[in-house]
Amino acid sequence: MIMTGEDTVQVKKIWQQDERTLGVEWTDARTNLYDVVELRRQCPCALCIDEWTREKKLKSEDVQDSIRPVRIESVGRYAMGVRFNDGHSTGIYTFKLLRQLA
Amino acid sequence: MGFIKDVQERFLGTKAMPGAGLVSEDQVRAALSQVIDPDLHRDIVSLGFVKKIEIRGTVVACEIELTTPACPVKDQLKKQAEDEILKIPGVAKVEVSISAATRGAQGQKAEGITASLGRVKNIIAVASGKGGVGKSTTAVNLAYALSASGSKVGLLDADVYGPSLPQMTRVGNPRSSEGSLVVPPVVDGVSVISSAMFSSAGQATILRGPMASQIIKQFLTQVAWGELDYLLIDYPPGTGDIQLTLSQVAPITGAVIVTTPQEVALIDVRRAVSMFHTLKVPILGVVETMSYFVCDGCSKQHDIFRRGGGSRVAGEFGLPLLGEIPLDPSVAADSDSGQPSVCHHPHSPAAVAYKSAAGAMAAQLSIANSQTGDALMSFSLDWK
Repeated sequence: MIMTGEDTVQVKKIWQQDERTLGVEWTDARTNLYDVVELRRQCPCALCIDEWTREKKLKSEDVQDSIRPVRIESVGRYAMGVRFNDGHSTGIYTFKLLRQLA
Repeated sequence: MGFIKDVQERFLGTKAMPGAGLVSEDQVRAALSQVIDPDLHRDIVSLGFVKKIEIRGTVVACEIELTTPACPVKDQLKKQAEDEILKIPGVAKVEVSISAATRGAQGQKAEGITASLGRVKNIIAVASGKGGVGKSTTAVNLAYALSASGSKVGLLDADVYGPSLPQMTRVGNPRSSEGSLVVPPVVDGVSVISSAMFSSAGQATILRGPMASQIIKQFLTQVAWGELDYLLIDYPPGTGDIQLTLSQVAPITGAVIVTTPQEVALIDVRRAVSMFHTLKVPILGVVETMSYFVCDGCSKQHDIFRRGGGSRVAGEFGLPLLGEIPLDPSVAADSDSGQPSVCHHPHSPAAVAYKSAAGAMAAQLSIANSQTGDALMSFSLDWK
């Protein structure tokens, strides 16, 4: 179980592309752009997705198009956390999830 | 010409060779590029280890800078470099000096931890799946072994429920602060912070907080760790809340898993391995403690807790076995008296095994750091 391939992929660069787009360049040279509103809609935290049933509790229409991050920070070496301007900050977006969302 | 050559040989004691005195730096570089670092699998020139080449006639001096003072193959690299340079025609004498500058993982650190951990090059988790395997003893001895080899080392006792480092190192309480940061007390060159330091009523205000995780967070954000090559964190046993907090707040460079040889211990090792895997923390290797006991009467190795568990689990996950530490009553006595064995009984079998494990760990860390390449260790982005 030594880490190989996909498991070792980390963030190489992260930036604000435009008013509602986040850019991430990965260490395997892949670059992905994320719509921050969609990121909020895909929030993986226990408030937005039921922990037992994995049922989505957050409805897409609950998230306004005007939502924006306030601050994005790394979480250890495996994820990033986002604080949104609606006060929501419990989502931990693992790199694995981010690469699936792209 | 023949006459001059003769005279040179007779009077100067040096053999004149074709091109003598014309040794070029390129030749030396080419010779040194034959020396391969056995851990990083690359030659020392392309790794950027060769810092200085000086040629004075037939004498070549060069300086090689390694990635850790604890490099286990230091002497071997020096010898190889000397041998390769001596092969160059015209070189009569070679002086190779070895120095070390610990390289850390790349990237900016997130704002919250910059003040505290900004100048810490490597953060190492010393963890185990279960308690009682000698994890704290291992953390202390690895720390002092690295320190003895010339590295700047810090030690954080994150075992909030059973802190033992103050006993094992005789460390006192912190006495000074730098702004809002607590300055860790230093014992024999190693900076030490333990939750035990803040448990007495008088000092509880420095680091209060009802949650164990909150205390741990403060150790990583409110302590002036200063410039360190290695910060070793003695994890609490298991895979719970504190372990998760540690791995979320600090960009852990690598983890060392401690275990005893028997199968029941290994079940928990697998859990610890899986936790670090999920958190994307590279595992540097496995240290097996209580591996065997050498009887003073018969000099025979007795495998008290069975044999080879560490190497079995290391093999299972493709991890290096960093060391097998024998059971040694002096280790327990040294821990109780607050003098780490690697300092107090440096020639005891256990201390020798710990020192070799520390070197192997430092080597694995250099490998892990060379593989992370240009990854950001941590980042923060304010949205505009």
